[in-house]
Amino acid sequence: MSRLPFVLPDRRPGLQRVLGFSGVLFFSLLVVLSLLPSAWTGLDPVAQDTRFVLAPPGTSGHLLGCDFLGRDNLSRLVSGSTVSLFIGVCVGLFSTLIGAFWGLLSGYRGGMFDTVLMRLLEVWYALPELLIATILMLALGHGIFAVVVALSIGGWMGVARVVRGETLKIREQAYLEAARSIGASPLRLVFRHFLPNLLPVLFVLLLFRIPGGILGESTLSFLGLGLSPPASSWGTLVNEGWKALPLTPWILAFPAVLIVLALLAFQWFGESLGKRWLG
Amino acid sequence: MNRLVRRFFASILLVWAVFTLTFFLSRWAPGSPFQGERKLPPEIMRSILSYYHLDRPLSVQYWEALKKTATGDWGSSFKNPGIRVSDVIGQALPVSLTLGGVALLESLIVALVLGTWMALAREPVKGILRALSALEVALPSFLLAALLIDLFSVRLGLLPPALWNGWRSVLLPSFAMAIAPSGYLARLFATSLEETIRSPHYQAARGRGIRPFRLLLSHGWLLSLNAVVSILGPVSASFLTGSFVVESLFAIPGIGRVFVLSVTNRDYPLIMGTTLVYTMFLVGMTLLGDLIGEWIDPRVRAL
Repeated sequence: MSRLPFVLPDRRPGLQRVLGFSGVLFFSLLVVLSLLPSAWTGLDPVAQDTRFVLAPPGTSGHLLGCDFLGRDNLSRLVSGSTVSLFIGVCVGLFSTLIGAFWGLLSGYRGGMFDTVLMRLLEVWYALPELLIATILMLALGHGIFAVVVALSIGGWMGVARVVRGETLKIREQAYLEAARSIGASPLRLVFRHFLPNLLPVLFVLLLFRIPGGILGESTLSFLGLGLSPPASSWGTLVNEGWKALPLTPWILAFPAVLIVLALLAFQWFGESLGKRWLG
Repeated sequence: MNRLVRRFFASILLVWAVFTLTFFLSRWAPGSPFQGERKLPPEIMRSILSYYHLDRPLSVQYWEALKKTATGDWGSSFKNPGIRVSDVIGQALPVSLTLGGVALLESLIVALVLGTWMALAREPVKGILRALSALEVALPSFLLAALLIDLFSVRLGLLPPALWNGWRSVLLPSFAMAIAPSGYLARLFATSLEETIRSPHYQAARGRGIRPFRLLLSHGWLLSLNAVVSILGPVSASFLTGSFVVESLFAIPGIGRVFVLSVTNRDYPLIMGTTLVYTMFLVGMTLLGDLIGEWIDPRVRAL
């Protein structure tokens, strides 16, 4: 659950394109994998079969073995990926939207209004992220919706700061002054001038927020504050794998590798896009 | 001086705002500190609530809490009656500060070494180092902690897997906390150092024939350090939040564990206490980072 400021990418040749491409490739692979959960295994991710408790990978019928309740690891992994990716993308979208709205409003109006909005942001920023997340989870229950809301509301501040900075830059541009001097309405300014010019930044920020959401979900669920047990996500799978670690290290290994690869993929994708668009 | 005084008052306002927000957020969350497994008879429940003034209107409770907190009386825990919040924090904070301090030190050392190497290296090596730092950032701390415990405690039996006894129990958790920030800081530092190296003053110093080591140290390094120092506040605060996760994993009696427990127990005085400590720490470290940053590079002040 990192709240450090975004590092927008710098100029760099070579490896960049390859990494960006592999990021996109892995990302699309994950999407395909998680869009067709049942096509992969045909097994129910919550069905228990006591004959196969803690079966090792390669057991006939269970390619990746089974967990401590005899549930098929592969189908749990696939359905968990769907959940984690969905949460990550939703958190990315919502926190980028909230941040964009806040930052645009603050930078566009300026003056006292800007000061007040930025002070409010600082207050929100000074609250421990885990406090916001835990309280919202308690209030909203332990479902997917609650996780998305908790992480989005806890994680839009970095986006707002960047968007405000970009908005201030756009405000100084000649084309904006021209538009304003011919009497364009504020709404037109925002939708025809600010937003189109902010779009690349917003998209790159979105790509940086998605791994933040994935990481946030897995951290919450790993601590037992996120999704409740029968559901599977990368976080709950790591949690279960961690409990059975000395016996069956592979149960931890599968979701762990997926989390790290997904985070890397989004990071590389975001950076190479950022380099192209924002250079 | 004037500026410092202004910042100081702004910080107090910020702490007050956080206090207010935390107060209402924690009361808004469903549940109560006195809901146990057993259901208490209504008259006992009522007397407990009135003993803690929880039956009064929220605004009255808020004023009482604010007045008490401002005068330094942070009250006592609801869950464990008689134990003062200040005592709980006084016991837990040194643990977390030690852990966070060691982790910060480790990540700074790794970041500066890796960052310098990254900035000076040529392409194939540079790319590998970049990928390495990206991998560091992508490793969730809880995952790393789990792997470290399994490898060093369970399989090799070298270091204690949990609890807080002596320096040996600092190593694993601090390392688990340090890795991700070190990758992030290394990239930040490398970018800044590359920029400094390209700048005219550095090239001029190089042209004057200053020895490479001295050149790098006093003309490049010191100036680029600002990129790292300027986010010292959020970084060190993230070590305190990062410790929430790592402390629960290693069962370390630090402020993170106290915080998580207090929220799940709705132990209101303890929630307020830990949140305030966190906020004051964040504000204090941000101020310190800004001051050091100005001292290193007075140009920052003009902004």
